[in-house]
Amino acid sequence: MAEFLLHGGRVVDPARGVDAESDIAVRDGQIVSAESLSPAATRISAAGCLVMAGGIDLHSHIGGGKVNLARFLLPEDHRAADGAPIPLPSNPLELPSCGTCTPGTLATGYRYAEMGYTAAFEPAMVMSNARQAHMEMGDTPILDHGAYVMLGNEEIFLRMLAERWEFAHIRDYVGWAIHATKALGVKVVNPGGISAFKFNQRALDVDQPHVHWQVTPRQVVHTLAKALRELGVPHPLHIHGSNLGVAGNIGSTLATIDALEGLPAHLTHVQFHAYGKEGPKKFSSAAEQLADAVNANPQLSIDVGQIIFGQTVTASGDTMRQFANSALGSPRKFIGSDIECVAGCGVVPFRYREQSYVNALQWAIGLEIFLRVKNPWQVVLTTDHPNGGPFTSYPHLIKLLMDRSFRNSQLEQLHPEVAALTPLRDLTRELSLTEIAILTRAAPARLLGLTDRGHLGAGGAADITVYRVQNDPEAMFATPERVFKDGVQVVHNGRITAVPAGGVHFVEPEYDRGIEKTLRKHMAAQGSVNLDTQRIGHDELCGCCNGGRLLPAACLEVTP
Amino acid sequence: MAPAPEAAPAGLLPLVNGQPVALDQALDAAAALLRGARQPLFGGLATDVAGARALYGLACATGAISDAAQGPAMMAALRALQDRGGYTTTLAELRSRADLVLCLGGLPTAAAPRFFERPEGVAPHTVLQLGGDVPPAGHAPPVEHIAPGADPFHTLAALAAVLAGHALPKPDPNLAALAARLQAATYAVVVAEPGRWQANAGLVVEGVNRIVSLLNARGRAAALWLGGGEGAATVNQVFGWLSGLPLRSRASPAGLAHEPLAWDAQRLLADGAVDAVLWVASFSSTLAPNLRPPASGLPMVVLGDATLALPPRPAPTVFIPVGTPGVHHAGHLIRTDGTVLLPLWPVPTPPPSGLPSVAQVVAQLSQRLERTHG
Repeated sequence: MAEFLLHGGRVVDPARGVDAESDIAVRDGQIVSAESLSPAATRISAAGCLVMAGGIDLHSHIGGGKVNLARFLLPEDHRAADGAPIPLPSNPLELPSCGTCTPGTLATGYRYAEMGYTAAFEPAMVMSNARQAHMEMGDTPILDHGAYVMLGNEEIFLRMLAERWEFAHIRDYVGWAIHATKALGVKVVNPGGISAFKFNQRALDVDQPHVHWQVTPRQVVHTLAKALRELGVPHPLHIHGSNLGVAGNIGSTLATIDALEGLPAHLTHVQFHAYGKEGPKKFSSAAEQLADAVNANPQLSIDVGQIIFGQTVTASGDTMRQFANSALGSPRKFIGSDIECVAGCGVVPFRYREQSYVNALQWAIGLEIFLRVKNPWQVVLTTDHPNGGPFTSYPHLIKLLMDRSFRNSQLEQLHPEVAALTPLRDLTRELSLTEIAILTRAAPARLLGLTDRGHLGAGGAADITVYRVQNDPEAMFATPERVFKDGVQVVHNGRITAVPAGGVHFVEPEYDRGIEKTLRKHMAAQGSVNLDTQRIGHDELCGCCNGGRLLPAACLEVTP
Repeated sequence: MAPAPEAAPAGLLPLVNGQPVALDQALDAAAALLRGARQPLFGGLATDVAGARALYGLACATGAISDAAQGPAMMAALRALQDRGGYTTTLAELRSRADLVLCLGGLPTAAAPRFFERPEGVAPHTVLQLGGDVPPAGHAPPVEHIAPGADPFHTLAALAAVLAGHALPKPDPNLAALAARLQAATYAVVVAEPGRWQANAGLVVEGVNRIVSLLNARGRAAALWLGGGEGAATVNQVFGWLSGLPLRSRASPAGLAHEPLAWDAQRLLADGAVDAVLWVASFSSTLAPNLRPPASGLPMVVLGDATLALPPRPAPTVFIPVGTPGVHHAGHLIRTDGTVLLPLWPVPTPPPSGLPSVAQVVAQLSQRLERTHG
């Protein structure tokens, strides 16, 4: 089926402003104009269906050491409730793989594809273990993938700031780190705080100095955001801010936005960063303040990190905050690690409960944020998988956003004080199909600089999802009728029909290679992986990714 | 392909029941052997990421149980992790941050000879050894030996009790002093090798985790576990990410099952619970004797490095020599501290071998099994 015409469906393609019955023509994995198809092209009816680009998850923990630690920590996630083994797949195309909040990579690929997603991005790649992240993503079938390398807590970077190195050198270091790890972007996690925790500092506010380096999170955030701007990296700095989960952290979230001084940035899992400390329990929603800030700053984007009630596991680079929350774990166990003078990780199993005041409020805050940010192009739908809940809950989340009566009926089941107090009940907005398409494919593609993804225009990659129209959006989005990856049908009626290896997206910014001499010296003294071993070449990347395609994204023209 | 030079070691040719054969014949015989097994065991598992990726598919196709040569210690430590977790650190953190290093049961230098090497300008740390044999005289850096000969499990429990502030009936002044030093340290690291305690490693891991957890309540400390060599940690991680479950798992007719105690390779062999073995040992069994195939009367396929000398066996036996990652071909292995996946490149002038990698051999075995099932 090198050539086919998908005809008669309602095409919802907000990147091109389309919501109309229209045909989609595909040849050799690309979308082409219908006129250019040969008469021999296969015709596939999409009558009674919605046709969208394949879903794109721009923030989902699907690969790297901490994800595997989470799998090892939770054998109970890999058996049935009664302790029985998880049945083997009936589909001979699938290899056995299991887990709900910490699925194996194979199951991750199958379940995402069955849900109509064709790409997912690991947001927290540890520099010293970048290969493992690429390996795990490479073993996630069907999906395209890529990762953001975590910077802002390496001793070398903090030293550069503390010793007031020329900004150009710091920028070149960031360029080198992206190049060496084959990253698509850069994420900062608790700026400076992961390092500070290694020095036994237990909290770090935006303008508070790191106990050893005397550097503030404000400096870290601003420097990294500026470096990415100057390197022309399409995805701006991906920020997991200070004080995750702390009551009253809206102050540090707004201070982080202030630190950017107008530079573009993506604030991730903002639900965990939008808390006030009003009310009887000194814990309240600051969703409105957060949304006001996003609405006032079009250069910002967010993903929400919605929580979903039930069992999950939180896996994060933020050792400082994960350690602080480890006593709240359920079941009560915790993995922490200080990693190679560059990063850290913390894994805490968690059960979000409707009857918990805090969890109920977190749920309401996430939904409030979705509904209060006016421009959907600034918002991406995530649960910060698995931290807020597993990605398989996206169809449920979509229904919460599209159907106010369903939302309010769910609200009735929450802790009564939250149900009574939250302004969520009065938010009348219901997201349209176009808005859902923006949140789940068009906006993430645009925010990552993937020009041929997230839309169905000629020249685009033929990543296409076909949903049978149903009254219940949860059912509709859970089981699309057909999914195509680069023009190959990978799912039909909820069953995997092909398992191609996905491609890897990365960027290759220009930087002054002179920085490598300095870095080589520092890395030797620090005893970490040596500089030449750190760099992943193209051939090696291809091997890591099981022969998937290398998909370098173009950098932006840099205007001084 | 050029004919093998006259002096080519016999180890470069596959053997079926001791007779040299072509690779294709050996693969056919190995596939037939696996096909005839009701419950195969995949053991040794000394290979790299590529080998592990290939082995996972073959294990699923044959319903094999997989366990590494280092299984007893590795799985004991893993069970402690599954129960409670733990707090760890890595080699570079230890080197640049630790001011106090406590080695449990001995120094790690037998397996990691360069462990204490430091470049110029890196501040030295105090090294203590708790239990174990008296450390060698004149060791650099100097090592203070504490509580020699003490039972390690009792020692760790008592140390934890002191750190927790519990009153002990007969407090050991050495342990009280050690507790005070650990509490005063800026960053204390407890270094241990689970392999030292084999199947009892879980007790040590739990004891250390408790100590680290108590220290982290106010100060900073972490454990550093060394081990998982000869591919054990690598295969465990790869199977873990692909399936969601670590080793000692199986794609059984009832589903994907994990039995961290019952599916110990030695135990399965001793109990007669398996009826064929695929033994993978692409690293030198001269350097790592535990990579020698187990004494067993079962039909066996051995993917071994060319120096592996397989004694004559009465049961059906296929030996396929394979290349060694990092000598004959490139590969990837997890570093001893478990946190860094490192690339290996072939040595600049590898001994000529033309040997296939484990990944290549296993891919061909899988194809042969698919054809019969398919």
